[in-house]
Order: sequence, then structure tokens, then C-alpha cells
Amino acid sequence: MLQARGLTKRYGGLLALDRVSFELHPGEIIGYLGPNGSGKSTTVNLVVGLLEPSAGDISLCGIRASDDPIAYKRRIGYVPEEPSLYAHLTASDYLMLVGRLRRLTARTLQHRVPELLKLLQLHDSRYRSMTTFSKGMRQRVLVASALLHNPELLVLDEPFSGLDVNAGLLLRTLLQMLAGEGRMIFFSTHRFDMVEKLCSRVIVLSSGRVALERRVADFDREGPGSLEETFVRATQQPDFAPLARQILDTIAGD
Amino acid sequence: MRDRPETVLTRHFFTSLFDFGFLSDDGAESLKRALLGSLAVAIAFGLLLTRVFMKKYKMLPADPADAFVYELMADHAFLMAVPMWFVAAAVALVGHSLFPDRTDFRILMVEPLSRLTVFTSKLASLLLFVGLFVAGTHLALLPLIAVTLIRAMKTGSMLPAAIAFGISSLSASFCAALVVIAVHGLLVTFALHARVLAISGSVRTILVGGLVLCVPLLARLPGTATAFASDAWWLPWAPPAWFVGLERWLIGDTRQGALAAEAVIVTLLVLIVSVFSYGWLYRRFDRVLLQPASSQRERGWRRSLAQWVGRAPVRHAIGRFVSITVQRSVLHQGLIVGLLAGAGGFVLNGLMNASGWDQPVDTRDRSFLFTILWAPMAGMLLAIPAVRVALAVPLDLRSNWVFRMTEDAAGRAEISSASVRTVLALGVVVPLALTGPIQWWVVGPSAAGLLALEAVIGWLVVEWVMREWHRIPFTCSYIPGKGFVPHMVVKAFAAYVFFTTATMLILRVALAVPQAGVVIGVIVGAAAGALGWQRMRHAPLTPLIFDDELPTDVNPLRLNVD
Repeated sequence: MLQARGLTKRYGGLLALDRVSFELHPGEIIGYLGPNGSGKSTTVNLVVGLLEPSAGDISLCGIRASDDPIAYKRRIGYVPEEPSLYAHLTASDYLMLVGRLRRLTARTLQHRVPELLKLLQLHDSRYRSMTTFSKGMRQRVLVASALLHNPELLVLDEPFSGLDVNAGLLLRTLLQMLAGEGRMIFFSTHRFDMVEKLCSRVIVLSSGRVALERRVADFDREGPGSLEETFVRATQQPDFAPLARQILDTIAGD
Repeated sequence: MRDRPETVLTRHFFTSLFDFGFLSDDGAESLKRALLGSLAVAIAFGLLLTRVFMKKYKMLPADPADAFVYELMADHAFLMAVPMWFVAAAVALVGHSLFPDRTDFRILMVEPLSRLTVFTSKLASLLLFVGLFVAGTHLALLPLIAVTLIRAMKTGSMLPAAIAFGISSLSASFCAALVVIAVHGLLVTFALHARVLAISGSVRTILVGGLVLCVPLLARLPGTATAFASDAWWLPWAPPAWFVGLERWLIGDTRQGALAAEAVIVTLLVLIVSVFSYGWLYRRFDRVLLQPASSQRERGWRRSLAQWVGRAPVRHAIGRFVSITVQRSVLHQGLIVGLLAGAGGFVLNGLMNASGWDQPVDTRDRSFLFTILWAPMAGMLLAIPAVRVALAVPLDLRSNWVFRMTEDAAGRAEISSASVRTVLALGVVVPLALTGPIQWWVVGPSAAGLLALEAVIGWLVVEWVMREWHRIPFTCSYIPGKGFVPHMVVKAFAAYVFFTTATMLILRVALAVPQAGVVIGVIVGAAAGALGWQRMRHAPLTPLIFDDELPTDVNPLRLNVD
């Protein structure tokens, strides 16, 4: 189980995250929603151990990130929001690098890397450096690298970004099956449709605080569009129609 | 007031020529400080050089007139070569931005801009860039140029002489820039598009390396009066000499007509090639959008797999990462080749100064042997820190999260080991491989023992230099010039003097008494081994660094005894 208790993060005087707590159980997919600047990326960076909280703590399967960060991170697979990878490497070079850093055996890598490349339709491009890859192709490489060591927790930050329809459907099915096998999935996104289709629970963040935490099934019962409406209310978004009108007026004027 | 699109684009292209994208904000600030410090050192050196030139020209006899002219020609070759070098180096360093590229096409061609606007703006920015360096270097050299023209002032021919020099020197600098542009232009025009990026990166590296190696040759130009007097064979191969020929021809000295013709022909040729390349790219700008085709090298795939097999997986992973990065990252390739070429140039200059190359073995004096023994040690001492610096410069900071996520204690030791091996290969093996054959030629088979001892000394230096290395090559942010520059210069100079003197003596003893060499080798090897053991013992306990920081502690002067 992933347990976050009172997670707080300050950047100098700026309070980015304020006493955020949640739990993620095996077999569960949590949708993590919030407007830009609400603290989503900060939470993700704390969950994967790239940042240390200013207060509070986080543990995975009983291992506190602050006590043993190495053992903690070993159990996590991560797909970052931006497709940040060493693009001068080929896809196979990159996966081999990650696999070796994860201490997978050569035998495992020799089998797993080409298979994953084939399954994610990257096999034909395996000799090309990733500088020539599209965003979707890079995203698929990142998904492969996150899955390579068969982690207990998957942290996905906008994983569908840039993926074509088929790759998106494949990833969605894969995530459902992984959850079915007992993996935990922390899914940070802006897409309500994906949260409704994939997640069992949703957490909405606003100004660094948890504004809402509910089961997705509850929204299903309330009818279509209910999640979106609740999100707008919980995050205190302004009325968008006057805002759009203002934009139109601005570009029409001198 | 609205800026014209051409102005905005020219400004954009011009500023992007100075964009050091690989540095963090702190790093860029620190680099600016380091550059300002270096500029101050260069100005001080220039003033010193002016005094030397003043003394020389005061003492130069007016008769015979030819002797004076040849001295003047040699000095003018130097004064033209310096701006040529700086301009060529600056243009070579921005080789990737000389022509509008794929990014320009994708971003600018969707805007309501004509192709002509994009190309003229690019050309204008390039002209500004070259002009800035040409003007800057000539202004910096102005006192020296004035000193060399004083004699002409006495004879009343100052103005024609100054104009002739100005035309020749400016032509020389623009020719140097055009050569680099023409080389890249030929690549853009004729190379397969799939290979253009890789080839242009390698060309840039070769150009920068070649230019750095030219530095000792450039420094010797003021001493080439006799070469001009005797029409030395190499003059038609030395670009600065062509333009000195042009200067003399403009003054009316027809004896240097052949050199002048060479200057004009080469300048016209590279101008035509550059214009043709621009014109060709202008007509086929859409070609830059073509994607490189994938190669079908099954062997490469298998080889790549095989390289990952073995023990110490993290060490192999990092070794492979470093190797691929050095092969494919133009920045790091250029840094390593440029810095190693700098070390090579320094050693080459020392070797060229040694007298005794053309003498029989038995009659060579001791200073010649000392130079031969000095060369590899000086090369290693310069190359090892240079390689360390190159490994410290980051590649893509946003992507280093993968290393942060996978860091573990045992891996830290393997990473340290991989880094040390890289420095050993580039900082010790390369200099020894280059100087070894010379030593063999001079001292015979005894060179084998010398090489072994030199390698062990190199290992010790590597272990010493890498003792505080707690990073993965190319993954940590970098802040250059963190220390107090004068302090660092004094320390580096003292280290150089001590190291080269001590190691030369050791090698001399080892050459005279091989048994003593073996004992020294064992002692030095034991010291290196001990340092290595300590490094490997501490590495797992020390977290890796991914963010370089400026030192926060105040350095106490400790003037009191207590």
C-alpha cells in the first residue's frame, strides 16, 4: 500500500503542497486531478522520490521514502509528464540502460527489451536514435521503461499524451490488467474521460490541498458530466463563458 | 513602433548564436564571470606583448631594409592569424546554426514570413556575428598593429601601409569564416540528409580540434622572418602568409604576388561555395524536413546486446552511456577533442622547440631527452582534468530523473569505477599512445618500461583528481569557474611545475637504473591502488550529486597563528 501522510512542500516562501494525505491500495487506480499550479507535479515528484517533502512522510509497502529511498524507489515505475529521455540513445540502448541500472539480469533484458519494443510497435525503429522519434514514440519508450522491472507501483503523469488511438487503447487495457493483478497505479491527468474509464477513486487537488476525494462509481451514479461539474466546483474555477467572451473581445480590438 | 520581421528574426538568430543551452542559470552566470576573468588575463597578456613588440621594433636596425621587411611580414602574419583563428573558432562552434535548419523550417514557415525573409535574416545575423569577432579581435590587437606600423610613419607611408594591412587582415578574417561556412555548406548540399547532423557534428569537432592544435603554430609565426626571406616551402600552405603576400602586393611589393594571388583565389572560391550553398538550400528548403532513414544493421543490434552482458551491470551501463554520448553528442565530442587538442598543442609546441631532432642519437644533448620525457607527463596532466571537465558538463538535465530513480549504494561504486575508467582511457592512454612511439624512437626498447611507469603515474593522478567525484558523467548541472580564478591559476601552475619536474626526474632515474624504476613503479602503483580502494569504499556511502552548487562557505584567510 502507498501511504501519504500530511505531505507538505515549500519552495522558499511558496507553499506548493499543504498537508496532503491519501492511500493507494493494491489493485487500485487513483486518478489525480487538479488545475495547473495546483501541486499535482509536486505530488508526483514526492511520490516517486525525486523530491523530499518539507513535512509529512510517504511510504510504500511499509518502506518510508525518507528511511530507505533506494528500496522505496526500486518498487516504482514512472512515466513523467514530459517525454524526457536521453534522445541520443536508441530505444533499445535506453531500455538496456534503465534495465541495467535496475539490476535486471542480462538474460532477462535480452528477452524483455526486444519483446517490449515489438509489443509497443517500436521494433522497426530500434536502430534509430530517439532524436528522430515523435512524442508518441518517446512516450511508448517511457512506458516500456516504467514496466521493465515489473514494479509494484506505477506513477503515470499524463501517460496518454501524444499516443495515437491504438496505443492509447492498448495502454488503457494494460493498466486495467495490471490493476487486476494487484499493482497500484497513481494516475495524474487532466483528462476526465480517462479517469472515468480507468480509475476506482479520484482525488482533486486545488491550491496545494485536497479539495475532493471520492469513488468514481459515485460519479457514474450521478450521470454523465458529473465529474467535470464537481471538479469545477471543487477547484473554484471561474465561469468560463465570460472569460471566453473577454478573449474574443481582446483579439477583436486594437 | 513595430519592429520589422527581418529585424526581429535577425535579433533572434543573433542571440541564439550565443545560447549555451547546456548550462543552468547559475552555470551561465558563472561562465560569464569566468569569461570576463579570462578577458582580463588576455588584455594583460596583450599589454605585455605590446611592450615586447615595442622593444623589438626599437632595436630593429633599419638596414638592411629587407631584413626589417621580413620581420614585419612575420609579425603581420601573426597579427592576421590571431583574428583568423578567433573568427574561425567562433564560426566553427556555431556550425549547427550557420544555415536555417529543420526547427527554423517548422517554426518559421508556418508564420506569414517569406523564405527570403528567413534567409536574409539568418545571413544578416551571421554577418553581425562574424563582424563582432572580426572587429573585437582587431580592436584588441590595435596597439600591436600600431607598433609595427610606426616605422612606416617615419617614412610618411603610414596611411597606405595601414590601409593595406586593414584590407588584408579583414579579408583574412572573413576568409577564415567563409571557409567554415563553405565546409558546412558543402555538407548541407551534398551529404545524404540522414547523415548531415552526424557528419556536421563530427566536422565541427574536427575543425575545433584542428584549430586548437594550430595554436602552437600560430604562436611561432613572429619568429618566421627567415622563412619569408628564403621563400620557405610551407608558405603557400599557410593561410596567414597568403594575406601577408596580399598586403605586400597592395603596397607595391610584387615579389609576393603568388601568395597574394592565392589569398584572392581561395577567398573567392569559399565565397562562391558559401553563396552557392545558401542558394541551393533556399531553393530546396523543404528538403530539411526529410527524416533520417533507419539503418538495418542486425550486427549492431547483437553487438549492443552483447556489450550489456557481464558482471557489474551498472558499470557497464554507465560505460556504454558515456561511450554513446561521446560518439553522438556534438557538444561533448567537441569538448573532449578540443580540450585534448589543447593539451596536444601544448605538448607539440614543447616538442617543436626541442633541438636535436636532426642530430644523431649519441650527440643529442640532455635537454632533448628531458623534453621527450616531459611530453607524456605534461600531456597527461593537462588531459586528465580536461576529460574530467568534459564529463561534468551535462547533456540533458531534464532526463536525469532516470538516474535519480535508479540510484543504489552498490551502483555508486560501479559508477565511480566507470567514470575513472573513462578518464584513464582518454586522459592517460590517449596521451601515452601518441607520445609512446616518439619515446621509442628516441630511447629504443627501454621505452616499454618508461611507458609502464608513466601509465602507473597517470593512474595515480586520475585517482587523485577523481577522489571527490560523486556524479554520473553528463547528468549533473554544471557551474564553471566556481573557485577564485587567480588562486586556481597559481595552484595549477605550481602543480604543473612540481609534477613535470618530479616525474621527469623519476623517469630519468628509471631510464638510467631500470631496477629503481621498478621500485618507484611499485610504490606509485600502491599509492594509486590505495586511493582507488578508498574511493570504492566511500562511494557507496556518498549519495550521487545531480545539482552542482556554488560554494557557500566563506574561505577564511587564517592570518592568525591560532
